[in-house]
Amino acid sequence: MPRLGIDLVDLEGYVCCPAFGTFPSLDEDAHLAVSAWNLSLGEDKGVDLLVECGSCYSSLRLGRALLARDEGRRERVNVLLAKAGKHYEGKAKPRHIIDVLYHEVGVDRIRESLESTLAGTHAALQHPCHTLYPSEVVGFEESPAAPRVLGELVRALGADVREYSREHHCCGGAGGFRHSSHAEAYRYTRKKLDAIRNETDADYIVVSCITCLMHLDEAQKELSGNNGDRPIPVFDYSQLLALCMGFSPGEVAAISTVSRDRVTERFAAV
Amino acid sequence: MTALSEANLDLWRDLEGGDVLRICLTCGSCVSDCPASEADPPLLIRTLLRMVELGLEDNLLEEDTPWSCVTCSRCEEVCPMDVRPFEICLALRRWQCRNDSTRIPLSTTEIYQRGYTQPVDRVEELRRSVGLSGKLPVITADPELLAKFQAMLMEIDVIRDHDFMFKG
Ligand code: SF4
Ligand code: SF4
Repeated sequence: MPRLGIDLVDLEGYVCCPAFGTFPSLDEDAHLAVSAWNLSLGEDKGVDLLVECGSCYSSLRLGRALLARDEGRRERVNVLLAKAGKHYEGKAKPRHIIDVLYHEVGVDRIRESLESTLAGTHAALQHPCHTLYPSEVVGFEESPAAPRVLGELVRALGADVREYSREHHCCGGAGGFRHSSHAEAYRYTRKKLDAIRNETDADYIVVSCITCLMHLDEAQKELSGNNGDRPIPVFDYSQLLALCMGFSPGEVAAISTVSRDRVTERFAAV
Repeated sequence: MTALSEANLDLWRDLEGGDVLRICLTCGSCVSDCPASEADPPLLIRTLLRMVELGLEDNLLEEDTPWSCVTCSRCEEVCPMDVRPFEICLALRRWQCRNDSTRIPLSTTEIYQRGYTQPVDRVEELRRSVGLSGKLPVITADPELLAKFQAMLMEIDVIRDHDFMFKG
């Protein structure tokens, strides 16, 4: 990010975003106090928060929106925060990484920063739900029904983007679905993976959410079993960007079970 | 099954955001693209909203389906009346927790104890292997701050009333 003109500072004393299955499912004041805790860390330093994980992003955005909607909530939360010597005003904004890359850095600067490209490769996209809906709270696309940002960013790396029928569906990996209904959730994900395999010649899937990444990756291991489906490696956008910017495949941390060698070997060679 | 004559018609008042339920058209848009409507048993968010409106407390206490929600907010995007079904789904979980402590997510006790549900410390080795600093400046790096965070959460009724779960 510094090479792209974005300075990063670590926030000290961060806690879980909170994930929707935690405090937001237990108590509203606890939910908002934890959101405000994290947001106040950015506020104190005068910075916005950069987030990659879809649900962290959505949770922080919803917390901020709920606090903005109602003064009573803000007051209650500030009484709670005062116990820890903190205060919340709502100045720091959570921003998703692809929003920042597209709207702050811009595709031109990204193109200029590349040492190699993905020219000649084909990508299928997984748009993280949490960056699209509800657009009023989390949105940064002109049209949430036809998101463009991730595709434009992938094209900036030289890849061709392949569309498919279930592109706008959820990956199926978030929340309780996968836990309450394991078989049904994987069947749901399978429909997406099958659509990518049958309708496109994608070499890899690009996501921008850690849950999408881990779920689409692990689901392939779980689902392929013995039926020889074509495996499709899954990358976070920032991993592909880093590879094209010249970082070595080893540095771009390997959180995956599906082998990515077919895609990364082109970078090892340069 | 709750007889309608025994229903709690004020139930919506117990749910944050419940006042908007009366403008729900029951159009079903919220269910149409809901990933968790494919769960077994299916999460039928419109039906849950109707159950709140009708005050079917006993049935709702037994419902596990609000916990299958993937939190994608598609229902909020498509709802023509701005009912915010996802927010009500969360409110329903909270109402269940208030009335049945076995519903309290264990993950909240983990966050209370160590700031996170994910074992954040386990990524330290991976971080070091790719040249990042190993230690993350999360709350556990500052025990004094963690104690303040815990004291703050203890101010909340449902947490204080179940402090034995949180203090572990
Ligand atoms: S989409 Fe909105 S109005 Fe339609 S049934 Fe769902 S909550 Fe009611
Ligand atoms: S937020 Fe939950 S209830 Fe709404 S569409 Fe997504 S999974 Fe269904």
